Amino acid sequence: MGQSEAVNAPTDDVGGDGEEFDPIGTLTLIGIYFTILVLAWVYIYFIEFLGRDLVVVG
Amino acid sequence: MHIHAYEKLWLALSIVLILALIGTVTYGAVGPGVAMVADSQSTVDPGALDEDDRFSEPRVEQVGENEYEAYVVAYQFGFEPTPIVVPANSTVTLHVTSRDVIHGFEVAGTSANAMAVPGEVSEITVETDEPTEYGIVCNEYCGAGHHVMEGKLNVVSQSEFENRGGDSE
Ligand SMILES: [Cu+2]
Repeated sequence: MGQSEAVNAPTDDVGGDGEEFDPIGTLTLIGIYFTILVLAWVYIYFIEFLGRDLVVVG
Repeated sequence: MHIHAYEKLWLALSIVLILALIGTVTYGAVGPGVAMVADSQSTVDPGALDEDDRFSEPRVEQVGENEYEAYVVAYQFGFEPTPIVVPANSTVTLHVTSRDVIHGFEVAGTSANAMAVPGEVSEITVETDEPTEYGIVCNEYCGAGHHVMEGKLNVVSQSEFENRGGDSE
């Protein structure tokens, strides 16, 4: 990381495509964050909100 | 411009999420028919509610098969009528107003929640299920007695509701 910051040449960016830094941990975190967001929304809207008594329909 | 694959993925997921949020809210409006308080009701004179057709006598009345209207007046510090008695498995339209200051009308633990504004009528329609008892709280600070301002919404069986009506008439 420190190295690639130090070497700030544009050629490095373009040429570096083949050996991109693709950490599996970051991908996992993205997946976990997204899953949390989706589950939270499903819980808030479908279970907590629509599941309550006396839903206002008019 | 170079965008990292993960960033592209996250952008795509964000768009999916936004569409999902809009989609679920649209589903709520179209499917279960979730609605909001509108300004469709005509205004009232908060100082002369006792001369008003709708609110001179806070009450619950039947307006159709399984359809009921409730007229509720909030005041410092309570709700009329108390309790509000409605039948189970029916459609109830609540008309809520205030005769003094702004109050809240929240049937605790449910989605029935409206403001009680002097001069204005909040109209919400709900569907009742099984017989049960709900508490009603005022959720707008309205004065020294705000914390003791409460009401009751009792959902009773159809037969119990009819017996009740027969007794009082
Ligand atoms: Cu109040």
